[in-house]
Amino acid sequence: MAPLRSAVSRRLLRLPFPFSAPTVPGGVEAPPRRQRAGADYDTTWARRYPARLARAAIVETVARPAVAALARPERHGLDRLTLLAEAGGPVVFAANHHSHVDTPLLVTSIPDPWRHKLFVGAAADYFFRTPATSALSALALGAIPIERAKVGRRSADRAAALLSDGWSMLIFPEGGRSPDGWGQPFRGGAAYLAVRCGVPVVPVHIDGTGRILRKGRKLPKPATARVTFGPPLFPGPGDDSRRFGAVIERAVAALADEATTDWWSARRRAHAGESPALVGPDAPAWRRAWALGDPDRRRTRQRRRWPEL
Amino acid sequence: MPRPGFVLDVDRSTPPMLFHHGESLRLEKLPVGRSRVLYPGEPLDPLDDPEGAIRHALANPLGDCQPLRALLRPGMKLTIAFDDISLPLPPMRRPDVRQRVIEAVLDLAAEAGVDDVHLIAALALHRRMTEAELRHAVGDRVYDAFAPHGLLYNHDAEDPDNLALLGSTPHGEEVEINKRAAESDLLVYVNINIVSMDGGHKSTATGLASYRSLRHHHNVATMRQSTSFMDRHTSELHHSNWRMGKVIRDAGVKVFQIETTINNDTFGASGPMAVLQKREWEWTARDRASFVAMKAGLDHLPLKARRKIFHSWQAPYGITSVQAGEVEAVHESTTENIFRQQLVEVDGQTDILTMGLPYICPYNVNSVMNPILVMCLGLGYFFNMYRGRPLVREGGVLIMSHPTPWEFHPVHHPSYIDFFEQVLADTTDPAEIEARYEKQYAEDEWYRHLYRTSYAYHGVHPFYMWYWGCHGLAHAGKVIIVGGEPRAVRRLGFTAASTLQDALEMAGDVVGRGATITHLHNPPLVMADVT
Amino acid sequence: MKALVFSRKPARYAAAMVAGSLRPGRGARYGPLSLRDVDPPELPGPEWLRLRPRLSGICGSDLATIDGRSSRYFEPIVSFPFTPGHEIVGDLEDGRRAVVIPVLHCAARGINPPCDMCRAGRINLCERVAFGDLEPGLQCGFCESTGGGWGQEMVVHPSQVVEVPDALTDEQAVLVEPVACAVHAARRVGDGPAAVIGAGALGLFTIAALRSLARPSVLVATAKHPEQRRWAKELGADVVCAPGELDRAVRSATSSFVLDNGQLTSGVGAAVDCVGSEESLAQAIRIVGPGGTVHMVGMPGVTTLDLTPVWQREVALRGAYAYDEHDDRTHDFATAAGLIRELDLGRLVSATYPLARYEDAVDHAAHAGVRGAVKIAFDLRSERTAR
Repeated sequence: MAPLRSAVSRRLLRLPFPFSAPTVPGGVEAPPRRQRAGADYDTTWARRYPARLARAAIVETVARPAVAALARPERHGLDRLTLLAEAGGPVVFAANHHSHVDTPLLVTSIPDPWRHKLFVGAAADYFFRTPATSALSALALGAIPIERAKVGRRSADRAAALLSDGWSMLIFPEGGRSPDGWGQPFRGGAAYLAVRCGVPVVPVHIDGTGRILRKGRKLPKPATARVTFGPPLFPGPGDDSRRFGAVIERAVAALADEATTDWWSARRRAHAGESPALVGPDAPAWRRAWALGDPDRRRTRQRRRWPEL
Repeated sequence: MPRPGFVLDVDRSTPPMLFHHGESLRLEKLPVGRSRVLYPGEPLDPLDDPEGAIRHALANPLGDCQPLRALLRPGMKLTIAFDDISLPLPPMRRPDVRQRVIEAVLDLAAEAGVDDVHLIAALALHRRMTEAELRHAVGDRVYDAFAPHGLLYNHDAEDPDNLALLGSTPHGEEVEINKRAAESDLLVYVNINIVSMDGGHKSTATGLASYRSLRHHHNVATMRQSTSFMDRHTSELHHSNWRMGKVIRDAGVKVFQIETTINNDTFGASGPMAVLQKREWEWTARDRASFVAMKAGLDHLPLKARRKIFHSWQAPYGITSVQAGEVEAVHESTTENIFRQQLVEVDGQTDILTMGLPYICPYNVNSVMNPILVMCLGLGYFFNMYRGRPLVREGGVLIMSHPTPWEFHPVHHPSYIDFFEQVLADTTDPAEIEARYEKQYAEDEWYRHLYRTSYAYHGVHPFYMWYWGCHGLAHAGKVIIVGGEPRAVRRLGFTAASTLQDALEMAGDVVGRGATITHLHNPPLVMADVT
Repeated sequence: MKALVFSRKPARYAAAMVAGSLRPGRGARYGPLSLRDVDPPELPGPEWLRLRPRLSGICGSDLATIDGRSSRYFEPIVSFPFTPGHEIVGDLEDGRRAVVIPVLHCAARGINPPCDMCRAGRINLCERVAFGDLEPGLQCGFCESTGGGWGQEMVVHPSQVVEVPDALTDEQAVLVEPVACAVHAARRVGDGPAAVIGAGALGLFTIAALRSLARPSVLVATAKHPEQRRWAKELGADVVCAPGELDRAVRSATSSFVLDNGQLTSGVGAAVDCVGSEESLAQAIRIVGPGGTVHMVGMPGVTTLDLTPVWQREVALRGAYAYDEHDDRTHDFATAAGLIRELDLGRLVSATYPLARYEDAVDHAAHAGVRGAVKIAFDLRSERTAR
C-alpha cells in the first residue's frame, strides 16, 4: 500500500513545468550547476557588510565568551605586531593546529587591524561538506574552502585574490588537527600565498587547546591555552615557497620552544638550529605519547607578590 | 613636515597660555608687549622601521668599535645595562625602546652562542624598579627568560660584594662601579636619551656607580659649574663623568654604547591629551571642548584620582635615531639628534622666566611629586634647559606654577621627608646642607636598608635634588611658586603666590615694572639656545 | 587680704571640667576658683614665718586643677579651700627676699622623727604629706593651712626658705622652682641621645637643664609654635621639630630602623616627656631605645598605653617630681638659680598680671604657646599698698 500511495501522491503533488524545474532531455548535457558545497563553494557573500557585521557579532557574543570560559587564553607576543599594525596591509597568520578551538581562539586573539578583515583557510572536505556547514563556516568563521588533498588552483587563486584585496588570512599549514598532540609537517600553502602576494607571514603557536578538545573528542574540557605570536616573516626576493615554508615551520617550532621554556633559551636553540621539531620524535606511538609529557599539566607561572605601590 | 619650535611675541590677540600645574592645568594671560613664549618643535617624524634601524646600528657602529656581532663569542661574559624608570617621561607605550634594543642585542648574543648574560637596571641611587616596571622596560619575554634565574636585577650601589673600584681620575675622583659590569668581557649599555644630559659616559659612570663614586660629581661645587648640565661642553658634571669614563675604559671595561632618541610626541597627535601639545591659537573646537572637559574634570577630582589618571598616561613616543658603538662618538650623534628636536634659538635673556611644572619629573614615576622634586624640576631641569646663557638673567625672577603639596610617598621617598622636615627647616643653602647633613643621610643604615630591599631612593638622593637646583638657586634673584601650598613653599625658601598676576607683581618689586617675561612652554620638551 | 581661693564645690568643679575641655583655661571663669577677701593664714607653729609673695608663677599643674583635669589621686593629698601658687618669690617679714621650696615635708609638718625619705634628704618623696600638724597637702599651693603664692600673704616653714641673692631679679627668682624641677629630671639623664617632648615652660627649662647638666650627644626636641622653636634652639636643642615629626627626627638622629607599627628599633636613651598626655607618653615609648628611660616630667593622668614595648625592650618609666638634694648635697634650687643666671632665663617670664585679672592670666597661660609666651606670673608687688 505504502509505495503505491507515495507514487500516487508524488504524481499528484508534482506541479507542471513552469512551476517546477524542467527535466533534462536525453542526448543533451545539462550546464554545470552552481556548487552548494565543497571546494568550489562561493563565499563572496560572506565578505559583504551584512555578513561581516553578523560575523563580528557572532565572534564577540559567542566565540569570545566561549573561548574565555573554555581556554582562559594567555596571549603573548602581540607587541611584536605593533610595527606591522602601524604599517597596515594584509598578513598571513600561520599557526599549528590541535583542535577546533584553535580557530575561535585565534579569531578572538588576532589584534585589531586584522581581526575584522580576516578569512580562514578551512578544509573543503570537512567544513564545506554540505551546504549548511558551508554557509555556517563561511558566515561564522569567515572561512573559504581549501583543498588539502591536492593543490587546488581555484582555492589558491581565490585566497590570493582576497590577500591582494587587503584581506588577511588565517591558515593552519599542517592541513589538519594533530592526531596525537604532536605537530605534522607544514604544507606549502601559506608560504606559496605569501611569496605570491608578497605579504608577511606571522607565525603563531598555540599551546594547550589539545587538552580542551583534541581530535576525536566530542565534549570540551576547560584548560589554559596559550597563544604566542612571533615576529613577522617577510618573503625575500629570492625566496621560493618551499624554502619560505621551511622558514615558517622553523619559526613556529621556535615559538613552541619559547612557549614551553623561555625566550632566551629558545632563541639560542633557534640560532643553533636545535629548536625541538614540532612533529616530535620519529618513534612508536607510545614513545611519542610518552615524550609529550603529562597532558594535564598546568602551566605554573612563578607568581611573586609585590607590594601595592 | 613637523614645524620647528619658535619664539612667539605676545600681542593683544595672543590667547592665554597653557601652564601645566602638577596634576592640573591652568590658562594664563601673559602681559602684552613685554612677554614672549618659547614653543617646542612639533614631534619629528619617527623612524619607519625602528627594528631595522636598531639592527643597522648594531652592525654599523660609530667610532673605533667593531660591529656587535664581532664582539660576541661563546663563553664570554656579557652584561646588558639599561636606563631605569626615570626615563623616558612619561613612560612610553609598549614596546619600550629598551625592549626592542635588548631583544636585538640578545638575539645576536643567542646567535653567537653566548651563555653568560646578566641584565642590570642601571639605577644608581634611584629606587629599585618593581616587577611591573621592569616588565614594561624590557618586555615580558626578556623578563620571563632572565628574572626567574636572577639574571635580571636592579643595580645595588650599596652592595659591598658587588662593586669594583677601578681607580681614580687625575682629579682624585674614585671610580667604583657594578662589579659584574666591570668584570664582563663586554658591557652593552642600552640608553634612552630624553634630554641632552643623559647618555655618554654618564650612563655607566653614573648609572652603575656607587655612592663613593657619585659624590665626586653629585655635589654643589660641580653643579654650580655646570652651566648648564644640559650642555656637556660647559658642564662640570659631564667633564667629571668623562674623566671617569676614561678610567673605566683604561681599566679594560669594554663598553658598547647604544643610545636612542625619541621625539616630542608626549601627548599624542590624537586622543585625550593631544590638546596639550598644540599651539593655543590652533586649538579646534574639539580641542577646546576636550580641554574644558578635562580641566573641569580635573578640578573636581580628588588629588589621588588625578594623580592616578596622569600617571597612567603612556606617551606614544616615536624613535628618531639609534646609534651604537664607542661611547663618545655615539653620544656626539645622539646629542645632535636631541638638539634637532629640542633646540630653539632665543635672542637674549629675560627678566622673568615663567614655567608650568607638570605632574612628573624623573624621580616620581608612579609616585608623588613632593616639594623637593618641585624645586628640582623647576630650578634643576627646566632652568637648565639652555645652551649658552640661562634664559633668565642673573638676579632675575623665576616663576613656577605647581600646587606643591606637603606630601611625600612614604615608600619611595623616606629620606626626602626627613630632609624636608629637618634639613630644610634649618637652612636652604646648598653648601651648608652639603657640609652639615649629607654624610649623616648618606650613611644612615635605615635608608640603606630601604634602598636595598624596599623601593626607596637612597638616603642621599634628596641632597642631589637640592644640588641639581643650586645653580638656578644662586642665579635667580627670587623664586615664586604660583598656586603653591604656602607652608611648603616657605620651607623651600621660596615665595608663594595665588595667581600669576600676583606673582608678576611681586617679581616687579625685584626686577622693575616693565620687566621682560619669557614663558617656557614645556612639556613637550624645548631647550633654549640663548644668544 | 586678697587671695585666689580654690574651694570644694562639686557643681563648679563639673562646670570647670566642661568649660576647660571646650577652651583650656576657661575653668577659671566657671570653676571653683575665685578672688576673695580672706584672713591671712595663722602661723601653724612658733618657728613659722610670714611671707608676702612678690611674683608667683602659673604652673601646668595649676592649669590642670583649674580646668578639672587633674587626677583623683590628688584628693587625699590636698585640702580645701586652698590658695594655689607654688612658684613663689616673696619678702619675709625681716626684709629678706626668698624663694620657697613648696614641698610640705616632715619638718614642716612637725613630724619627728622624720620619715625615711626625708631623713635621706629626698623631701619631695616625703611619706607624710597627708599627716602631721598641717592639713593634707603635698605642697603649699595645695594645702589649706599655709596659703599659696596667689594670695597677698602666706606662711612658710624656715626649712622651705631659700634666700635670694641680690643679683637675681624677681623675674629670675620666680623661675627657680620650675627650673629646679627640670634640673631634678636632667640630673638623671646620661650623655647619650635624648629627646624632650613639649616646649612649654617646663620643656624649655628641661632642654636648658639637659644641655647644661647631662650634655647629651644629640638633643631632639619638639615644638609646636615658632616662638617655642626659637627658644628650644637657643636653649640647646640640636634638632627641633614639630610633634608629628619627632619619630622621624629621632630615627634619623639615632640611625634607627623602624618597625611597621612605627616603633623605632633603636632610639634615645632618655625620652623626657614634658607634656604628660597619652599621645606624648605613647610617643616617648616609641622613640626610647631599648634599656632606655622615659622620664615623666609633665604631670600625667589616667591614660591608656600599650606597655608591651616597655616590657620587651626593658624600658624604664620614671617619674620626676619636684626637687631634692642631689648626691653631692647641692640642692636643685641652687643649681637652678645658677642656670637661670647663666642663661638669663628671666626673659622667659612673658607677662605678669594682677590678681584681679586672674581669668586673663590663666587664659594667657593656657595659650602661652600660641601667643608666643612661656611663663605667666601674678605680680603681687603693686598690691601691697592695698593692704
